Amino acid sequence: MTVAPPGPSAAEGDRFTKTGGEGGPGHRGARDGLFPPLRGLLPLIVVLLGWQLAAARLPPYFPPPTEWAQGLVELARDGLLLPAATATVVTFCVGLTAATVLGTLFGLAVGASSTVDRGLRPTLESARAMPPAAVVPIATLLFGFTATMKVVVVTSAAIWSILLNTRSGVRQLHPVLLDMSRSLRLNRRDQVRKVILPALWPSIFLGVRVAAPVALVITLLVEILTQVDGVGALIAISQRNYKFAQGFGLILVAGLFSLLVNALVSTLQAYVVMRHRPPR
Amino acid sequence: MTVEETTPPGPAIDGAPRAVACRCRDTSVDLSFRGGSRRILDDVNLELLDGEFVSILGRSGSGKTTLLRVLGGLLEPGPGSLVQFHGESVVGPPEGVVFVFQNYAASLLPWRTISKNVALGLEGRVPRREMPSRIQEALGMVGLQDRAQDYPWQMSGGMQQRVQLARSLAMRPRGLLMDEPFGSLDAMTKASLQDQLQQVHQRTGTTIAFVTHDIDEAVFLSDRILILGGSPATVEHDIRVDLPRPRDQLATKELPEFLRLRRCVYNAIAAPGG
Amino acid sequence: MGVFRRVNGLGLLTMIVLLGLWEVLVRSGALDFQNLPAPSAVAARAQDLVASGELLVNLLHTVRVTLLGWLIASVVGVGLGLVLGLWRPAWRWSMASLEMLRAVPPISLVPLALFVFGFSVRTELTLIIYASSWPVLINTIEGVRTVEQELHDVARMLRLSQVKTLRKIVLPAALPSVVVGLQLSLSLALVLAVVAELVGNPSGLGNGLILAQLALRPEQVFVYVFTIGLLGIVLNAAFRQVAARAFGPAIRGQGGAP
Repeated sequence: MTVAPPGPSAAEGDRFTKTGGEGGPGHRGARDGLFPPLRGLLPLIVVLLGWQLAAARLPPYFPPPTEWAQGLVELARDGLLLPAATATVVTFCVGLTAATVLGTLFGLAVGASSTVDRGLRPTLESARAMPPAAVVPIATLLFGFTATMKVVVVTSAAIWSILLNTRSGVRQLHPVLLDMSRSLRLNRRDQVRKVILPALWPSIFLGVRVAAPVALVITLLVEILTQVDGVGALIAISQRNYKFAQGFGLILVAGLFSLLVNALVSTLQAYVVMRHRPPR
Repeated sequence: MTVEETTPPGPAIDGAPRAVACRCRDTSVDLSFRGGSRRILDDVNLELLDGEFVSILGRSGSGKTTLLRVLGGLLEPGPGSLVQFHGESVVGPPEGVVFVFQNYAASLLPWRTISKNVALGLEGRVPRREMPSRIQEALGMVGLQDRAQDYPWQMSGGMQQRVQLARSLAMRPRGLLMDEPFGSLDAMTKASLQDQLQQVHQRTGTTIAFVTHDIDEAVFLSDRILILGGSPATVEHDIRVDLPRPRDQLATKELPEFLRLRRCVYNAIAAPGG
Repeated sequence: MGVFRRVNGLGLLTMIVLLGLWEVLVRSGALDFQNLPAPSAVAARAQDLVASGELLVNLLHTVRVTLLGWLIASVVGVGLGLVLGLWRPAWRWSMASLEMLRAVPPISLVPLALFVFGFSVRTELTLIIYASSWPVLINTIEGVRTVEQELHDVARMLRLSQVKTLRKIVLPAALPSVVVGLQLSLSLALVLAVVAELVGNPSGLGNGLILAQLALRPEQVFVYVFTIGLLGIVLNAAFRQVAARAFGPAIRGQGGAP
């Protein structure tokens, strides 16, 4: 992981694309479509039904599904749900955007210059090895229990796949592309804006596609750990106050967020790839 | 198909002596590799006249592409070299010179339509109003007016190379540097592109430096053929091609003069230092 | 691994310069974060913690639980993955449910687990096992299913029995994907261990970290954070070594695991 032979840049990219584990639905082989057959939902339905029916005999911290909805309604009525959801979405979006911008910039730098790459690699690799959970206490020390702290943690976790994918994208840029833009006498700005960045979009968005679920999970993590606003904070607080139904309702919300994020990002990425790196 | 046998031999354009479009004096190039550098070109001297079609031939690795890149300002020559285009020293890609790459697929932008690809070099230089006519004119010269709204990846290789040519022509270049532009195309496509290039050349009077591996192609298209050889390479031969124009794929290639030149070029390449 | 064969002097230099810069900035008061300790203070504190044995005890706890949880998760993930990947009806009739379940971030279950299992190792282990089963499971399913399509014909043409097909073609071909899953799981296991220790279990590196934070001892926080980061690197490197030893040629040829 530290000083890696030349291979890992590409392998890293591969690993991220192959990461079904974090990729979310939609990364199955093309022949399966975007989602496995819907009849596969049956076990889940059976479990939930059984849960509902057996609710009386289950301990109080496993409230039946119907109460989850009620819990959410309660939260909404108390005016807690919407602000929390907003806070989570804002942290997620700002963090992911910052990660995309910074990841792209760093990726460009380390991709374009092997000297910069060698110079920064050990530092970046060590930073990457830091589990986000361990970053939280440092971030709170430095930034306090604030929205900024949340964004910093999310960004620091989500930046890596974008950085690595951008780096390998830059390395795979065809030299002809650069020669061509020079020969047409594009100025530096146009060269970046019209040729290099568009050519890198597929790589960058591949990174974003992997980074987005990470950003969401880390948003929840930081909220649960620090209880600064957001759905994660509400989950922690509701459990602590024995509001189990609310807790499950919120977990459901988190699940919905994650499905939504995956669907959005997959669609976006498919679009970018189709437009910018069409079949040859 | 008949050849105008009456056309006198000699340069295609008659009259006053032509100006020098491109000049190299004592040009050398060192390329650095991992752990050292190697001299690729040494003491290259050449002059391309305005409107001339000059092919550059040589064996693989003889530095043809390197020379072309130097002429195009994509590669800086070694100290003491003099490279000029219409009297101006070449520092970076000179105005009025466009490079045409062999790898058309990599040089076209897949996210732009054909007309947008052609527009790439014009944007910010040509007034917006003039843009459509410039694009149409360029596409017209390569016979692709009807495909303006398609994307490069919807086209065959030959068409993509035409798009690249159109993109260069849209700049109304005084010089075209073509690096094995037809190298990866099949024989039929190649022939039709050669014809098209010939027409473009006649029509625009652009100076063209054309790197190729293909002896027939060089003889068929050129006014003059330069042969690189040696290591580091220099210009070893400078062969005039006085075949009548316009040239025809069948008739021209059956002329005794064509066959003689073909043999002459072949021998020049085959015999090192000859 | 080229770790020791090729020392990246420039990289190390950058790191040292950055650390030096940090030291200088803190000492001169140019950085106006209240709680940022200088690297020298962190190093001094690290020495104390090593000397007192506190760090080692916590480290061992975290390593033990991470590895145990990961091993169990690997067995569960590979086992379930093989069933779902090889037996189509099982996949058809349950994969959609799993995908839904997978959408629920395991992190959001931390408070619940805490409540059900209390402040104990059980909380920690349960979370680790649940969360880190997913990558192995998904990658095993994917590996096995992808193979099935591609090499099916070969097996048929060679007239291999089903058992032989499984043993000689399907499993080896799925291996790279599984190994990638295992590696992801290991990183995830460490993350979950730290999270669980931060919020619930009264031992381990995460716990040391949170105690340091509550005691407002920034140097100590940094010592724990660096230890956790280092542990992540070591675990990952160790995994690569072991995987390369164990499956070396089998996974390298297929370009699966790095």
